Amino acid sequence: MARISAGVGSSHVPLLGVAVDQSKTRDDYFGPIFQGFEWTKEWEKIEKPDVVILVYNDHASAFDANIIPTFAIGCGEHYKSADEGWGPRPVPDVKGHADLAWHIAQSLILEDFDMTIINEMDVDHGLTVPLSMMFGQPAKWPVKVVPLAVNVVTYPVPSGNRCWALGEAIARAVESFPEDLNVQIWGTGGMSHQLQGQRAGLLNRRWDNMFLDLLEKDNDDARHIEHIEYLRETGSEGIEMIMWLVMRGALGRKVKRLHRHYHIPCSNTAIGHLVLVPD
Amino acid sequence: MNTPAGKNIHEYIAQFDDIPGTRVYTAARARAGYHLNQCAMSLMKPENRERFKADERAYLLEWPMSPDQREALLARDYNRMLELGGNIYFLAKLISTDGLSVAQGVSTMTDMSFPEYQAMMAAGGRSPEGQRSIKGGY
Repeated sequence: MARISAGVGSSHVPLLGVAVDQSKTRDDYFGPIFQGFEWTKEWEKIEKPDVVILVYNDHASAFDANIIPTFAIGCGEHYKSADEGWGPRPVPDVKGHADLAWHIAQSLILEDFDMTIINEMDVDHGLTVPLSMMFGQPAKWPVKVVPLAVNVVTYPVPSGNRCWALGEAIARAVESFPEDLNVQIWGTGGMSHQLQGQRAGLLNRRWDNMFLDLLEKDNDDARHIEHIEYLRETGSEGIEMIMWLVMRGALGRKVKRLHRHYHIPCSNTAIGHLVLVPD
Repeated sequence: MNTPAGKNIHEYIAQFDDIPGTRVYTAARARAGYHLNQCAMSLMKPENRERFKADERAYLLEWPMSPDQREALLARDYNRMLELGGNIYFLAKLISTDGLSVAQGVSTMTDMSFPEYQAMMAAGGRSPEGQRSIKGGY
């Protein structure tokens, strides 16, 4: 049977992808950020997950303003790196796990989650930067990926409660997949950042760390944080953190923290990283 | 109809206007900004970037956006574009087309020069103190 063995939280700042692609990960600016992912890179080599369910948001790359799915799941065989205005990132194509993805999609729909199913799309930095942070620059990615895109752009975005419940349902779906697979779930985005308006550049170290503390606890309080609190405390783009709740919801009530990293700043953004296992 | 916040939809939307220097991308903004955002999105394609760079005004006339939106885009007035329904994830394609980093583009919306903005970020970013609520002043 398939099982979710771990959850990973990670920021997905586009500049981190640039740092990897231009070999700047050890310089004075990026060094302290990437050092915090070294532990995880080694751990992933040992864990060897078969599949990562990668919860991310599309940044107006695969989805334009025309069609706005709240929750969308990639059920295709492969995905290319998107051209976000400066050419596609030079990373390997992402291989999907269509069997598992379709199984999850069907299971979620039967559990009343009205999923959008995607067969073909390009994936942007929201998905490829976390892969680079955890696996570096391999000739091909060592895992198959089930992309799970969440609308965190057009309001109302889904509630934290709904994201958490989706994670719980994903865990049940994975457990009912007959093949023996080691599956991780990653929640990406955030942490505090605001990319717009006169308040741009807002960061909130205290709140971000309160959020990380909360995800480590054996309760589900974080699912009840309201949108307005993310907006006030963590900036307009800090709302991306609701995607970490999908990951946390999939891990069950009690978790053990294996690794945690926090760094300010990377470009406009606070970098957060967390590795949890079900306990 | 209760929203997750336990408020009705009108109260849910109204609370977003209480955040200083921030324009939350609500349905009303998404409607107003639809063609502006789709136009910015079109710059993901290299051939469109070339046509845009060759004659920006002519390129913008292909899109049914308002004259105000067109002028704001030509002027790279990002705060004005946000007011007229622009969203930063779409407008980021314009920033990239101009050969700027996202941080450079974002800094133009503040009252700081880019070096001043970079210095603020390096020093830990903008503090949320006094920046959370207009009415509450906290």
